[in-house]
Parts: sequence; C-alpha cells; structure tokens
Amino acid sequence: MRIKILISLGIFCFLALSAGGCVGGQQKPLGFSGVISYDGILYLGSTDGKIVAVNPSARNQEMSFPSSDGEWSFAITISSKGISCGPSSVPVSIYGTPTVVGESVCIGTYNGKVLMMSSSARSQNLPFPRTRSGEWAYPRTEDIIEPIVGSPVVADDTVYVCSSDGRVYALDMTYGDEKWKSDPLGDKLWITPVVEEETVYVSTFDGHIYALSAKDGSLLPWAFKAEAGFASSPMLYENTIFAGSFDRNLYAVKIGDNELLWKFPGGNWFWATPVAKDGVVYAGCLDGKVYAIDSKTGNELWEFDAGSPIVSSPALTDDLLVVACDSGEVYALDIFNGKLINGVSIDAPIRGSLCIQEGIVYIRAQDNCLYAMDVGKGKINWRFPLTIK
Amino acid sequence: MANLWNLIILDPMLNGLIALSSLLPKAVEFGLAIIILTVVVRLILTPLTLRQLKSTKAMQSMQPKIQELQKKYGKNKQKLQQEMMKVYKEAGVNPIGCMWPMLIQFPIWIALYQSIMKALATTPENLLDLSQHLYSWQIVNQALPLNSHFLWLDLGQPDHTLILAILVGGTTWVQQKMTTAPSVDPRQQSMSSMMLLMMPFMFGMFCLMFPSGLPLFWLVSTVIGIATQYFIGGGWGYLRPSSTKQSALGRGSKRAL
Repeated sequence: MRIKILISLGIFCFLALSAGGCVGGQQKPLGFSGVISYDGILYLGSTDGKIVAVNPSARNQEMSFPSSDGEWSFAITISSKGISCGPSSVPVSIYGTPTVVGESVCIGTYNGKVLMMSSSARSQNLPFPRTRSGEWAYPRTEDIIEPIVGSPVVADDTVYVCSSDGRVYALDMTYGDEKWKSDPLGDKLWITPVVEEETVYVSTFDGHIYALSAKDGSLLPWAFKAEAGFASSPMLYENTIFAGSFDRNLYAVKIGDNELLWKFPGGNWFWATPVAKDGVVYAGCLDGKVYAIDSKTGNELWEFDAGSPIVSSPALTDDLLVVACDSGEVYALDIFNGKLINGVSIDAPIRGSLCIQEGIVYIRAQDNCLYAMDVGKGKINWRFPLTIK
Repeated sequence: MANLWNLIILDPMLNGLIALSSLLPKAVEFGLAIIILTVVVRLILTPLTLRQLKSTKAMQSMQPKIQELQKKYGKNKQKLQQEMMKVYKEAGVNPIGCMWPMLIQFPIWIALYQSIMKALATTPENLLDLSQHLYSWQIVNQALPLNSHFLWLDLGQPDHTLILAILVGGTTWVQQKMTTAPSVDPRQQSMSSMMLLMMPFMFGMFCLMFPSGLPLFWLVSTVIGIATQYFIGGGWGYLRPSSTKQSALGRGSKRAL
C-alpha cells in the first residue's frame, strides 16, 4: 500500500513539475531585439538568445553562414536554476537592439547581464570574455542585475543601461567597470535612456521623466511628473522629450519646464519610441495607427491605420516612413501625407525596431528570421533563418 | 469563441480587478485587490456553493445505504446500479446534482485566474498582451503598471520562502479532510487517503512554480471554502468526527436537560 502511495505521489509530483516548469503560467519571454547597421554589417539579437552579425551582400548571394565577410554568431546562455524540464543551460531573452561602436558590440540581456563583445574575437569563436580584445560582462561574477529590456547607449566611452531594478548603470566601455549606478528611480526601467550633453534622460513606469548627471548619476534639479506611467522610451528632439504613456497619450515635455507642452490622445498606449524629422513627430500606437503630429503644437497632421498594434518604432528615409505591425505587415508611407506607397507582408509578428540601409529595410520578425525588404517596390529580397547551430 | 470569452467574462473581470487596485493604497494595491475580488466572487457564487454543499451532504447521508447495497449486489453491477438509482430517486437526490454548481463555477474561477495572470504582466510580451484587453477607462489606464509587491511577496514571482506553499498545502488538506467521508471499502479508503495527501502536496508544489499572485488567490479561496464548510456544513465535518459527534451529543444532552 505504501509503495502504491509513493508511486502515485511521484506521478503527481511529475505532473505538477511539468505543469509548473514547462507550461508555466505566463507567456515565455521571447524577446524582440531590433536590427542595427554598422559599417555595412547588420547586428541583432535572435529569439534563441544569440547575437548575430550578418553581412547583407553575403545573404543576398546565399553564401553559407558565417561567411568570412564579418559574419558571426554568439550564443548567450545561462545555467537553468532549480527544477526544469529542459537542458541545464538555456538561452537568454534579448529585447534591446545591440549598440555597435567600431569593433565593439554591446547588449543587455533579460537575465540581467550587460555584455561587450568584440567582432574579431567572436568571428574567431574565442572563449568569452576575451579581455584582451575589450570583451567583458557586467556583473563580472555569477551575479546578475534585474532584467534589461531597453538597449544600451554608448557616449563618451561609457555604456548607459537601464534595469528592472529601477536603476541606471554607467559602465566603463573598455573594461566594464561600474562608474556609477543611480538610486532606484521608482519602478522597473524597461527603456533605452537618452544621453545628451552630459545628461541622461529616463522615463519611468511611475510617470516621471528624470534628468541625471552623466558624470555621477545624481539627479539633476529638473524632473517632470505625469498623471500615469510612461510606457515608451523617451525621444529627445529640439529640446523636447516625447514619450508614450499608459493613459493612452503621447506626452511632449520641454526640458526645464514643469508644464507639459502638449499631449496627444491615441486609442491605446504609445509603446514604440516615436521618431521625428522636420518638425513632425511620427508615433506608432498599439491601437494599430501611426500618427504624424506637429512637434510644436501637438496637432495631428495625418494618420494611417495599419490594422494591428504597432510595437516597433517606425523608421524614416528621405521621403518615406516605414511602419511594421504585429500582424506582420510592413508599410511604406509618404512622409508628407501618410499615403500608402507600398507594402509587404510576412507571416510573423514584427516587434523589434527596423533598420533602413540604402533603401532596404531589415527586420527581425518573431519567427526568428531576418528579412531584407524593398518596401518601396513591395518585395522581399531575402529571408535568413537565425536558428544557426 | 476566444473573443466571446474575452468580451463577456475575462475582460470585465480583468478591468474590474485593475480598477479595484487603483482604489486601494499603492503599497498593497494588487494583493488586496486579489483578496477582495476572490471574496466578492465567492459571495456571488454562494447560492451555487450552498446547493453543492446540500447535494454533497445528502449524498453523504446516504452512504450507509449505498454501502449496504454494494455488499449485497457487489457482483451484479447492473442490479447494483438499478438499486442505487431507486434509492436516490426515493430520497429525491440527483447523484450528479452536486456536480452542476461546481461546473457552473468553473468558468468564473478560470476567468479570475486568467485575470490575475494577465494583470501581473511580468514580461514585456505579457504587458503588450494586457494592452489589448483594457477598456479606455482612465481609472484602469492610470493604475498601470500595478505594484506587484504585497507583504513579503512579489506577486509576479514564485514565493521561494515556502510560507505560501505550506499555507496553501495546509488549508487544502484541511478543506479536503472536512469533506472526505471515510469509506468501509478498503480500496476506496486507500484511494481517498492518497488523494488527501496528493492534492495538498501538488498545490504546494504549484506555489513554488507559479507567480505568487495565483497561490494567494488559492489560499483566500480555500480559507473561504473552509469557513463556508464550517458555518454552513456544520462544524469541522470529517476533520474531527469524534468532536463533531461529541458536540452533537452535548447539544443533545443539553436539549434533554
């Protein structure tokens, strides 16, 4: 009888572990890293925890990956803690877009690490971190900080990154030493900070815009408090900060002013960081629309209904605004009137930020593939699956 | 179908939960909102719970008769079924009657569970998903994101202190023990004693894996279940059968006096 009880207990334990460990209660963090181009190479994070450097011309020629032309991939894994049904080492989730300066590629991961990689060391597949090549991980030990969702920003040999513990971290770009970390600024900071003229600007979940000294992280006298929390990263344009709020408004706040310049109502949150050009702010909204707003007055100039939530920031060329939405549609719009020029559709949600290089739009979709599109002509040039071994 | 579910059940409950949170002190907003909403839902479902209790009690009171029939017609299953149905009919009890109130309550519990999980929105994907379920009410949108801290718990993370797991496991055991009638059939008896151990153990294990907002809801719900059972079902039930008998005897003797 006791054996029966023990066996049944074992089966129940197994079921409990399976339900809790594998199915989980919430959606697994997959990450939605964007694409950045530097010196003709594209850098991005994949949904299976890799940083990948892709040469567009090698992909166009369908060469085997990695070609010798600057291509590499580096898998970031963590050892899984406690009881799990998967392998002992699991890939990290990456939400931010890598930041590239010369040879160095920097990323913050959802497991709470900041990594600085060297392109040459990664293309040779040397053990990480190769300190001689300027590689490092922060924190250096097994410790982690809280999840990082935004992208790191590099300015004056310093890496600035925001974490879910509500702090901003400033790290030495060469060695990864901590220069300073700010006091907790309220709730989680899931944003990319703005660094301008020795000041770091952040928007917080509890509705503040703070200005910090880039030298020591101390709070500067000016701060702004909104009625609701900020959902998007701040965008700085002509001395004004633009940020989307959970109260479904896009806020414009002149730096130094305590009153807001204007707020523009949307049908849902402005999650994506807006972009601006020639006195116009272009903001994608989770209501499925992209709005063109006069940066001075907050008046709507035009709007375009993409039909599905817009999570990724729009991208600008000389006369085109490229918008991607969660249903996988990519639209090229006339920047002046919002008229649809052309569109491309893929069969996966698009959440990572877009990159435009020489008229070609590069997108990493949630199917873990990198797409090169000539949106103006309405065609996909190539598609590269990022599930590389 | 999913849209209909969201429109009629999930979204109203989710928005209600968030709106309720915004009315409570920021430091305990979400934890307290879970507790209040669980109590409110339990109150709304009281008529169904009472009906279920009544049916279960009636079924339990007929157990001696059923066991007699089992002994008598143990080998002839068809005859046993017929005789059992006859007994149920005579007593005016529907054997699956106690299941209906439970089945009706199910979708509401599922919606409450989903609302808690969605409102917690621990990852960026979850937060984006949440945005598609919210009404345009200012009270809802201004409350976000919710403060997930409550007492020693981060409601968005599992509680690794074991406190919640022990509380949930313990209360589940008490509630089950109160309602599980001892059986004369040794097979049935061993089965029910196994269940009596396994369910609390399993729920305890879940507490270590799910965000602690969910075990908090289980705990409150189970405590209310125990209280309902105690006050309406008549004491501790099968948890302390001797004391129940004694108290009944005591009451009887007092009455006689």
